[in-house]
Amino acid sequence: MDVKFNMVQKTKHFFEEIGDLSFFAARFFKQAVNPPFEFKELLRQCYQVGNRSLLLVMTTGFIIGLVLTLQTRPTLIEFGAVSWMPNMVGISIVREVGPVITALICSGKIASGFGAELGSMKVTEQIDAMEVSGTNPFKYLVVTRILAATLMLPLLVIFGDLIALYGSSLVEFFKGNVSFRLYFNKVFEALSFGDLIPATIKSFFFGFVIGLTGCYKGYKTGRGTAGVGIAANTAVVMASLLLFVVDFVAVFVSDIFYEL
Amino acid sequence: MKEAMASEEIVIKIENLCKRFGNNEVLKGFNMVLKKGENLVVMGKSGSGKSVMIKCLVGLIGPDSGIIEVLGKEIDQLDQMELDELRSDIGFLFQGSALYDSMTVRENLEFPMRRHRKKFEGTTDTLPLVREALENVGLAHTMDLMPAELSGGMKRRVALARAIILKPKLILYDEPTSGLDPITAKEIIELMRSIQKKYGTSALIITHDVDCARVISERMILLVEGVNYAEGTYEELIRSQDPKVNAFFKK
Amino acid sequence: MANKTSIQNMKLGLFVVLGTLLVLVASYLIGNRQNMFVQNFSVNAVFKNVNGLQVGNNVRFSGINIGTVDKIDMLNDTTIVVQMKVEKKMREHIRKNAIATIGSDGLVGSMLVNIVPGVGEAVSVEDGDRLESYSRISSQNMLNTLSVTNENAALLTSDLLRVTQSLTEGKGTLGKLLNDTKMADDLEQTIINLKYSSEKVSQTLDDLQILMKGAQSDQTITGMLLSDSISAQKLKNILINLDSSSIEINRTAQNLNQWVGEIKNGQGALQLVTQDTVLANQLMRTMQNIEEGTEKFNENMEALKHNFLTRGYFRKLEKEQKKANEN
Repeated sequence: MDVKFNMVQKTKHFFEEIGDLSFFAARFFKQAVNPPFEFKELLRQCYQVGNRSLLLVMTTGFIIGLVLTLQTRPTLIEFGAVSWMPNMVGISIVREVGPVITALICSGKIASGFGAELGSMKVTEQIDAMEVSGTNPFKYLVVTRILAATLMLPLLVIFGDLIALYGSSLVEFFKGNVSFRLYFNKVFEALSFGDLIPATIKSFFFGFVIGLTGCYKGYKTGRGTAGVGIAANTAVVMASLLLFVVDFVAVFVSDIFYEL
Repeated sequence: MKEAMASEEIVIKIENLCKRFGNNEVLKGFNMVLKKGENLVVMGKSGSGKSVMIKCLVGLIGPDSGIIEVLGKEIDQLDQMELDELRSDIGFLFQGSALYDSMTVRENLEFPMRRHRKKFEGTTDTLPLVREALENVGLAHTMDLMPAELSGGMKRRVALARAIILKPKLILYDEPTSGLDPITAKEIIELMRSIQKKYGTSALIITHDVDCARVISERMILLVEGVNYAEGTYEELIRSQDPKVNAFFKK
Repeated sequence: MANKTSIQNMKLGLFVVLGTLLVLVASYLIGNRQNMFVQNFSVNAVFKNVNGLQVGNNVRFSGINIGTVDKIDMLNDTTIVVQMKVEKKMREHIRKNAIATIGSDGLVGSMLVNIVPGVGEAVSVEDGDRLESYSRISSQNMLNTLSVTNENAALLTSDLLRVTQSLTEGKGTLGKLLNDTKMADDLEQTIINLKYSSEKVSQTLDDLQILMKGAQSDQTITGMLLSDSISAQKLKNILINLDSSSIEINRTAQNLNQWVGEIKNGQGALQLVTQDTVLANQLMRTMQNIEEGTEKFNENMEALKHNFLTRGYFRKLEKEQKKANEN
């Protein structure tokens, strides 16, 4: 009986959360298109999101490229298809691995950052203070952050992709004696706009999801410093989860377009 | 003396204010009037709805029912623009200072001016205004520091400077002395008084600090169980026989 | 303070510019592959079957990627126009007699259009020109016909064999045949024809054999076209069949020859032959079949000559012959 009740509560809570998040997203769109626009703050946030995540994204990208190539090499050698390495790694990184890994890393850094920052601002009444000061805190804090994440993530993904390919080409250079020029030639031979464009569009959505959940969790933080921790934590969990949902939908949709 | 200071012009009028959060009925028909130039202290226990009431005054929280008039305007009836305009006439000192962590002191003070430039038509340089506000609280040298580098008392003073930078007609103080040691608290109270003298503002102070209330108040309202339970000067209230009133002043 | 902000903005600007540049470079490199940014001209070719060719597939000229497939239009049920965008700088190298074929890029590769230089002199192609095409499916068709003919020939020879065998064994009757002198002449002529064609078959076979070798070692033009291993294998099988049937034809012809000679010399067991009308009829029909068969065979050989696949080779042969004649 109690378990059943608990389940019902949880389900209710789940849909409540989704509804809440949707309202939050709708509010974002409404506020984002109406002036005034906080350009200066947007730039600051872009810097925070973009430049400050670059090193992290590049490090993980490099390692992913390295590992992906090292792990695939024996199998490809077995099939006598090791010369296909650049094509395979190139497509998998540009299409899927690059955007998803970058987005996951960023959800760890950016979403939690947003959650904690906005959460502490909420708890210490800084958000109220802003509103009293005649600045729409939603515009100033939320819209700029979501926009910054949405705009910066595709760029981060591109950097991540490049570094991952570089890592992969290093392995091929030292283990397979493949020159960088040949490697990248093959990569770009394998790639088409059908790989790059959906991945880039996907990255925008990833950025949006990261920004949205981070801000949502931060903005709705409950009272007390404990609420800030919870906000940061749940922001990461929710963002990561939503990323995969978005990824699934994106792959599904782009697949349909491929068919056309 | 008192009669001379408090004119008949009404700055805040609250009638039958009700607000509930879920099942928790916080305000159950609160009434209050603040006259121009008056210092009114609202006292209540923690969770008695003081903060809710003061946030209703600036439209941060929408009441369930009741009428709130601030500076002659009914809050409920205002659109966002009008509300912002009204807010520029109200200074608000938050409980925890609420300085923006990511900005310097100067940027903190400039922040309210971003949207309320109308008030400063012709002034492109905000620096003199910032300096003046900081000098009022004696912290002109902290202009380029970050809030994290300030002590609790300094933060509160900077927050006070921020509250008065728009030269408001009314200042709302939410627990101005909470979290401060008695000496710093006294300094803050002194500052509040000097600012009021200098700019002739009205002030609504909510606190549970009896010392603060005694020093600053001209009139007090006790908020108990969601209603204005008792009203009067500090001397009147302290002599009251009502046990609920007495509970406030027991040390 | 303002300094700090401007440094931040500068760094952000650097980040954004670099990122955008990367996107642009990547787009350029990808687009370059699809010939979006170089000056192009278009050529087209008509195919019966494009074997899954898609818009965006590569166009190769002598093994170099020079463009992409731009448009594939179905004109009618057997005519598909494939429009190709080709780098302008390659125009002077592609001549009007170049031939477009559809092939695949490696074992698991995508389809592509191969443009192969034609044999002999020709002027460069113009924008919008239609190249001569060679559909792989037509070579397959040809091989199929060849194989059917081959089967026919085999059938024919076995018929003949039976007849001649019975003739030589003196079992049949050939009265009708013998009374009919025209028929005898015909038979002679047919045998000559048969001989001729069998010679020709073996000659063609030799030619084809050489061709196959060339194909396998990838030296000739056709080599590239034939490098599709499956059809090469098929062709080889057919050649083996042809070979064996030509031997049979040869044998039959010899038999017939011998037999006719016997008739002429009046040495055979004629009485027996003349009584059997059934056999005579059968023989006549067989003769007709032979005629028909050789005709078909000749046609096929002619077709082979004209077909793209082998034409080049025959031309080369002709040239060499000419050269030899001149010498």
